[in-house]
Amino acid sequence: MKALTLSRLLWICGSLLAVLFVVVVVALKVGAVPISIADLALNLGRVILGRASQVPSEYRFVVFDLRLPRIFLAMLVGGALSVSGTSFQALLRNPLADPYVLGVSSGGAVGAIAGLIFAPQIPLVAPLAAFLGAIATIAAVYFLGRRKGQLDSTTLLLAGIISASFLSAVISFLVTTLAGQNLRGIVFWLMGDLSTPLPDALHWVLLAGLIVGVGAIYTTAADLNVITAGEREAIHLGVDVTRVKLVVYVSASLLTGLAVSVSGAIGYVGLLVPHAMRMLFGSDYRVLIPSSLIGGAIALVAADTLARTVMKPTELPVGAVTAILGAPFFIYLLRRRLP
Amino acid sequence: MRILFHRRFFGASALYALVAIAASAQTLPPVQSSTTQTNGADAKSLAPLIVKDDMERSVAVPQPVKRIISLAPSVTETIYALGAQDRLVADTDACNYPPAAQKLPKVGGPFTPNLEVIVSLKPDLVVVAANSGNRKETAEALDLLHVPTYATNAKTVDDVLNSIVKLGDVLGVGEQGRALSDSLRARLQELHRRLENIAPTRVLFVVWQEPLISIGQETYIADALRHAGAESVISTKQDWPKVGWEEVVRSQPAYLVFASAHPEEITAMLAGVRNLPGWRDLKAVEENKIVIVSDAINLPAPRLVDAIEELARHLHPEAFADAPHVPASVVHLAKRASTSAHAAENAQ
Repeated sequence: MKALTLSRLLWICGSLLAVLFVVVVVALKVGAVPISIADLALNLGRVILGRASQVPSEYRFVVFDLRLPRIFLAMLVGGALSVSGTSFQALLRNPLADPYVLGVSSGGAVGAIAGLIFAPQIPLVAPLAAFLGAIATIAAVYFLGRRKGQLDSTTLLLAGIISASFLSAVISFLVTTLAGQNLRGIVFWLMGDLSTPLPDALHWVLLAGLIVGVGAIYTTAADLNVITAGEREAIHLGVDVTRVKLVVYVSASLLTGLAVSVSGAIGYVGLLVPHAMRMLFGSDYRVLIPSSLIGGAIALVAADTLARTVMKPTELPVGAVTAILGAPFFIYLLRRRLP
Repeated sequence: MRILFHRRFFGASALYALVAIAASAQTLPPVQSSTTQTNGADAKSLAPLIVKDDMERSVAVPQPVKRIISLAPSVTETIYALGAQDRLVADTDACNYPPAAQKLPKVGGPFTPNLEVIVSLKPDLVVVAANSGNRKETAEALDLLHVPTYATNAKTVDDVLNSIVKLGDVLGVGEQGRALSDSLRARLQELHRRLENIAPTRVLFVVWQEPLISIGQETYIADALRHAGAESVISTKQDWPKVGWEEVVRSQPAYLVFASAHPEEITAMLAGVRNLPGWRDLKAVEENKIVIVSDAINLPAPRLVDAIEELARHLHPEAFADAPHVPASVVHLAKRASTSAHAAENAQ
C-alpha cells in the first residue's frame, strides 16, 4: 500500500472531479433541447445569480428544471451506491458484495409496491414507502445477522441473502397476483430509473443524508484498512471492531436505502466502481471512499445521459444501461487480474 | 455464488413484471393449428368451419359453437355486443364490462389463465386477444391441448371493426357483427364529417405517470386519437414507450389525456404532482387542459368508438354545438339486451 499523503489524496480527488465536471457539462448539453456551451455558461450564471427569470423559457424548463436536477440526483445516487458498495465489500470481506447484497433493494421494492397498492393516490408514495421498506429490512437483517451480540460477517451475509431471496419472492408474488394499473411503474422501479422528477427539497434531504453517511464511513477508513487484513489482528491492534462494523453497516445501509427510495435498484454501479477505483488508486480506504464517491457520480451521470438520449423520445431505465455496460466491464476487470 | 443466487431471484421477478406489462404489446406468430376435434363429448352434426384468425392462423371451429371461453376483456365485451353471451361459459378476472360479465365463471387472469380450468369447461372455442392482454404461450398451449383457439388482433380502429365482423362470422352471428360494425363505422364517419376542417389537437396520452409512459404511433389508441381529432406528441414505433420529460416539456402538448374508470383518482394524483418539476413546466397542466376519458379507449372493442366520441367532444366542443350529448354506451346496451335472445336462436 502506498503511503497516503494529503497531496496524493487531493491530486486523485481533483482529477476525478475534473472528469466529473466534463461529464456533467456533456450531460447538460445533450437531450431533447440541446444547448451550446456559451448559452449554458450564460444561463447557468443567471440561475446562480438568482435571475432565473431572464433564462429563455426553452432552456428554463427543460435544461434547468428537468435536466439539471436529474444530473444532480444521478450524482447523489451514484455516489451513495458506490460508497455503499465499497463499504459492504469491506464489511463482508467479499469482493462480490454490492449495495443490494443484504436485501435493502428488495425491501425497498416491497415497500414501494405495498405503497402503490394501498395508497396509490398519495404523491411520492413509492419513494416514501420504499425508504420505510429499506429501513425495516436493514433493522431485520441487523438482528438476524448478530452472533453473540456482535455483527458477524458470515452470519450477516447469510441473513442478508436469505432476506433478499424471501423479499424477492414476496415481490414476485405481489406482482403476479396484484398486477394491475398501479403496478405499471414498478417494472422500471425494479430495473432502476431516475426519470421521475422529485420535489426540489428532496434533493437537499438526499444531499444531507449522503454527507452524513459518507462522513460516518470515512471516520472508519483507517480502521477498515486494518479490519480487511483480518479481524483478529485488528482487535489486537486496538481497533474497536464492533463499533466500526456497526457504523459501517448502518451508514452504508442508509445510503443504499436513500438511493433505492428515489431510483429503485440500479445495478452494477455499487459493485463496479469500487473495484475500478481499487485498481486505479489502490485499496487504502482513505482514498477508496472519496474516489468511489466521485467515481460513482461520474458513472451514473454518464449512464443516465445515455439512458435519456440514445433512443429519444423513448427513455431506457438507467439500470438497464448500467447492466449492459457494467457486466462486460466487470468481465474485463476480472480477466485483467488473471496472469 | 450465494450473491449471484440472490441477484438472479431479483432479476427474475423484474423480468416477469416486464413481460407482464409488455404483454399487451405482444403478438402471436402464425401457428398452424392441426386441431380437428374438441374434447366435447357431444357429437357434432356439422363439419368444422376452417377459418383464418386475425393472426393468420388457421383454426378449425366446430359448428355450431356452443361453448365459448373469452380470455380477454376486449373479447368479452365484443361477444356481449354481438349478443352471443348466452354461449359464453367463462371469462377472466379482468373482464368487468358489461357488469354481467363479472358474474361468469372465471379461468384466472388474461396473462395467467388456468389451462386446467379451461379444458375442464370443455369449450368449443377459446377466443384470445393477441394485442390486448394474452400471451402467445397461452394460445400455443391450447393448440397442444387440441382446444380450438381463435385470436383477435387489431392495430387500428378499422382493424377493430373488421375483427368484430370476422368474430361474428365465426360465432354464427355474422349478421349482428355486420350490423354492429356498420353502426360503429357510421358513427365514425359522422365524427369525421364534424372534424373535417379542424386541425388535430396535439395531446400527450398518459398511460402511467411514474415513470411517464405513453403510447406509440402504431397502437390502436394512437389511431383512436386520430379519429377523435387529436394526435400524440410522441412519435415512436414502440407501443408503450417510457418517454422523457424533457421531450414532453419541449413539445408542450395542448392537452393531457388520461383514460380511467375512476376519474377522481386521476384528479387526486394530478393535484399531488402539479407542482413537481416536469408537470409544472407544462402549459396544459397550468391551464388545466386535462381530459379523462373512459378506460374503454384501452380496449380494442366496440366501446372504443364511445371513447373516441367522448374525447372528440372534450377536445372540439365547437364541432358538436348542434348535437346534445347522448351517452352512446347506454343506447347500445339496451339494443344488445333485446337482440341477444334472437342471436342465441340463430346460433342453434
